[in-house]
Amino acid sequence: MIKKKAKNKDHWFSIRKELPPARRTLLTACSFFLPLLVWITVSYVPFIWHPDIKLQLSADRVGVTTVFTAGDRMSKDFFPTFVEAVRQENRTTLDAQKKGKPLSGSRRDNIKKLRHLSPVGVANGWLENNQRQDDEKLFEIWKGLAEETLTSKAISLSKENLEIIKDNWRALSKATPTFNSKLYPTEALLKLIPQGVSSNPVYLPAPHEVIAAGWLDFNTQPDNGMPTMWERYRHSLSIIFWGFAYSCLLGIPLAILCGSFDFFSKLHEPFVDFFRYMPAPTFSVLFVAFLGTSDAPKIMLVFVGTFFQLVLVIANTTRLLENSLLEAAQTLGANRRQLLARVILPGILPNLYNDLRILLGWAWTWLVIAELIGEKTGLTGFIDTQGTRYNFDRVFPVIILIGLTGFFTDRLLFWLRNLFFPWTEDARQAPKGPLTRFVLSFRDRTAYFKKSDS
Amino acid sequence: MSNSLELPSYLEKSAAVSERFKKLHRRPVKLKVEDLSKKFETPKGELVALNQINLEIHRREFITVIGPSGCGKTTLIRILAGLDFPTSGKVKLEGKKMEGPGAERGMVFQDYTLFPWLSVKKNVMFGLEIKGLGSQKAEAEAMEWLEIVGLAKFAEAYPGQLSGGMKQRVAIARSLANRPEILFLDEPFGALDAQTRASMQAYLLKIWQNVDVTVLFVTHDLDEAVYLSDRILVLRANPGEIDELIEVPVPRPRDPGQFLTPEFLATKKRLEELIRPPELAQNEEIPMIRLTEVGDEVE
Repeated sequence: MIKKKAKNKDHWFSIRKELPPARRTLLTACSFFLPLLVWITVSYVPFIWHPDIKLQLSADRVGVTTVFTAGDRMSKDFFPTFVEAVRQENRTTLDAQKKGKPLSGSRRDNIKKLRHLSPVGVANGWLENNQRQDDEKLFEIWKGLAEETLTSKAISLSKENLEIIKDNWRALSKATPTFNSKLYPTEALLKLIPQGVSSNPVYLPAPHEVIAAGWLDFNTQPDNGMPTMWERYRHSLSIIFWGFAYSCLLGIPLAILCGSFDFFSKLHEPFVDFFRYMPAPTFSVLFVAFLGTSDAPKIMLVFVGTFFQLVLVIANTTRLLENSLLEAAQTLGANRRQLLARVILPGILPNLYNDLRILLGWAWTWLVIAELIGEKTGLTGFIDTQGTRYNFDRVFPVIILIGLTGFFTDRLLFWLRNLFFPWTEDARQAPKGPLTRFVLSFRDRTAYFKKSDS
Repeated sequence: MSNSLELPSYLEKSAAVSERFKKLHRRPVKLKVEDLSKKFETPKGELVALNQINLEIHRREFITVIGPSGCGKTTLIRILAGLDFPTSGKVKLEGKKMEGPGAERGMVFQDYTLFPWLSVKKNVMFGLEIKGLGSQKAEAEAMEWLEIVGLAKFAEAYPGQLSGGMKQRVAIARSLANRPEILFLDEPFGALDAQTRASMQAYLLKIWQNVDVTVLFVTHDLDEAVYLSDRILVLRANPGEIDELIEVPVPRPRDPGQFLTPEFLATKKRLEELIRPPELAQNEEIPMIRLTEVGDEVE
């Protein structure tokens, strides 16, 4: 073995040969790092994708009811059309002014146009988030930018827009030098030209946005009595736990009976096999009808989703136990009960454990559906709510949390397997880290880990 | 076979050996097989695996079953152990008809069949605990048996860490700990390498000499059969019938030095005649197939 390894040391690509440990560790790190790198690259290198423009100023155009507020995205294809439409409006306004017949607009329209600047105020900290419609403050911002006592650092305003700001201020200050919305001019003001930065679609937020949103969500107490993220997390875990626990409690004994006795196998398995093809979510309305809208139908869904698979998988695992072990036990005098308790059960335990580990992964899939039936709860409830509001930066942290939970429970259970079943071939082959050796030092079967001589 | 050694007949026995067989036949019958037949239904029709087998095994006898592959030796031992059911006929242990497996008929399988989740000691304790022996007593007895097979220091090890030969010694200890009336061994050393096999044969002989147990042994190794047995039951295939029941003329106690004695070779030669298929006729001259184009002198 050692010689072989040495011989193939220089090959990264040898068929069916293990790489040296250092390279394996490196590749394991890369398997996580590379997708992350792709995400970072796509997010922060502008020319790779960025098919959209994220608006920095609010904007609208005449004749179209949709108002784009700062933060909204539009495709790069459409953006020039939109800009040109606004420019055309301004040209019409200016032409009319030149001809001495200025277009008359309502004060209301003008107030709206002035409010388009509010994102700049917010971004620079001149306005609080809830002061976006505070016309008096906005009046001061228009004044400041026009007279160049204020400079927008957060959003660099285009030259074109600075001209418009000056033009509008001239008209505005002529009508009312100090703030009085009743004295606002009635002739049409110019519109700010839409301005934006190129960005990715809303469904692909950048890493820093995701981290910030996640940090905020997991550290703030939501108002209106909604549960905190940690409460939602606990709730999700409790549903998956109970659903899976009931599934094991009923499924494992049934499965072992089916795997051991042809009688139970023929009596139950055909139906179980049929039932598992009926998707569990299709029963959700039924569950809600007879279990109400509490957690019960959700637990029931996880149960139904896992139970039938579990019975079949574990029955099969039971059947895979070497028959010769049963025969050996029989020639040693074991009766039926003793065969079950002393041979079948301990014999299938490591594989049964492994099956449950894999089935637990499936249970997470059912949880996501379960949390959406009846009353939306838990982590999925949150994902659903934020998703419909397009707050994808708040959705991703939760998805990642579910992924991490699944992954780490699985790794933990995998590691524990070798401690629970040190006699298996897997456990014997598995590399033992310092923690494994430490835990094993408490076991009396130390002889097992010493090198044997025959 | 023209230039083979001049061997005595395998039927000739020394006075001491004859005396031993007389005594053996006077011993009570431990296991009696009456008109045993086993038929399998196959898509090609009925297959007679065993046909009308009659056999008496005496107390503390070492009997070996041998035969060409497909002669039903494994079927026979499995029926005797109660793991398979005969189509007709009876198996009687000390006059009682046997049905199904039981602790009084121990069995050692070719593929070890140790319980991998139990330590070596617990494996040997398995049968004792099932019998209802207290765990302290069972443990003490198990340790004694491990001492006998020379594995006491591996009592706490798991089977997975033992070599094939060691595993088989544990399996033998496990069966013997149950104090069976008869011990069946189904090609127990078949999976072992030649050296381990030789030492295992010596082990088994030693154990059999020290423990009062009747043994029925299945093998396809002729040397093994002659070396270990009192009598050899030769089966013929298709249908599986008794070809001959040979009384081995090699004196006891046995040792590897006897492999080349005339009695040993004579018995082995007889077994060869019974089991080996007739030699293929070699009257055609087949030119050597050259794998390379080199025209060298190699013939």
